[in-house]
Amino acid sequence: MNRVGMTLKWFLFVWMAGVIWAAFLWIPSAQGFKGESSRIVFFHVPTAWVATLAFLVSCIASGLYLWRREPKYDFAAAVSAGLGLLYAVLATVTGAVFAKIMWGAYWNWDPRQTSITILLLIYAAYLALRSAVDDPEKRATLAAVYSILAFVTVPFLMFIVPRIYFSLHPDVMTNADPDNSLDSAHLRVLLASLAGFTGLSVWLYSIGTRIEEIRHRRRQEVL
Amino acid sequence: MSRWLAEALAVAAKDLRAEFRTRVALNSLVLFALTTLAAVSYTIGPYRLSTEDRPFLLSVLLWIVIFFAALAGLDRSFVKEEESHTAPLLRLAAAPTVVWAGKLLYNLVLIMVLMALLVPLFCVLMGFEIAMPWRFAAVLAAGGFGLAVTTTIIAAIIAQALTRGALFSVLSLPLLLPLLIFLIQGTTAVATGDLDTYRESLRAILSMTGAMTIFSAFLFPVVWRD
Repeated sequence: MNRVGMTLKWFLFVWMAGVIWAAFLWIPSAQGFKGESSRIVFFHVPTAWVATLAFLVSCIASGLYLWRREPKYDFAAAVSAGLGLLYAVLATVTGAVFAKIMWGAYWNWDPRQTSITILLLIYAAYLALRSAVDDPEKRATLAAVYSILAFVTVPFLMFIVPRIYFSLHPDVMTNADPDNSLDSAHLRVLLASLAGFTGLSVWLYSIGTRIEEIRHRRRQEVL
Repeated sequence: MSRWLAEALAVAAKDLRAEFRTRVALNSLVLFALTTLAAVSYTIGPYRLSTEDRPFLLSVLLWIVIFFAALAGLDRSFVKEEESHTAPLLRLAAAPTVVWAGKLLYNLVLIMVLMALLVPLFCVLMGFEIAMPWRFAAVLAAGGFGLAVTTTIIAAIIAQALTRGALFSVLSLPLLLPLLIFLIQGTTAVATGDLDTYRESLRAILSMTGAMTIFSAFLFPVVWRD
């Protein structure tokens, strides 16, 4: 593990450094955007993607916990909910900066901003629930149930609310407008950044679950 | 099936009887709603809003009053069982899904009573004119059911936690906010007579409520079993 792990960490370091260099220096600024504002997309999209991925992992781990009742699934759900919250905050902040430059205001309750706010509230509530229950097994069960319930609302937030209300945000899933699509160089940097951020969050995730496991073992030893 | 329904009705009837002895939940619901309505009516009244803003702003105010009143009173259904230590007996006496259905019915009755008192009063005091009254009733009924389903499962969760009061609002609001968005949109549509938007939002409300009902029916036994 150690040698492979160290190699992977160094590789990730070089990769992320490359992504940052490419996003700021290598790629020309995209047409149709004010100033250098288009560069933020290389950080905004990956953080939003990792946030969604973390929430998905949290929901699946919660389901697995309810099925198998093994503590490791609870650790996975808790750690990825925490990570998801962190990345959702980053996606919100980068999105707000871009909105200020392009559309004139940091915040105008665009449907995307509304949905990310509700997601932030959901996972803040999830962590609040975890801190309000003492018994580890009960905490794991209740948190898992809440996580699954919260995930029920996500499709409505992601797909239906932005359809009903007019949104300035570019469409996330399908991009029908050819003027709005990325050229291949931008796409390459974006995909590289997505891969880098995913790798980074996998690393953070493994640290988080290891910490939780050590805590769990310590508790077992004390009891 | 009929036996299951009879048992669920018995649980709901037990809760309603206990509720009408003390009226703790109903008092907090109705008094909260009336206080908020008095504040809203006093500060805004029927003439302050311009005509084109009225349907939307009045829908927003109406649903905010209903939602926060619901959050003030509906956590009692399970907290009461834990506080009076009657939960273990209920676990022995009835199957988990029966308890869930009974509590859901109980919460639904409370919400409907609240709406029956509040909504006519709101319409009169604020001068809220509805173009399609029957469809307005449909939006209210669907919204009341959605509220009851969500608050029932959340109340079951927080009854097991340490800090109950604040946690109920914290956990409920994120799950209810999408529903609130659709309900406000639907109410605006029935006030102005916009049939297409009404259909669209009612579909969204019903599908969301349906998904929430199915998931809570499956997840409730996990929360309830100690």
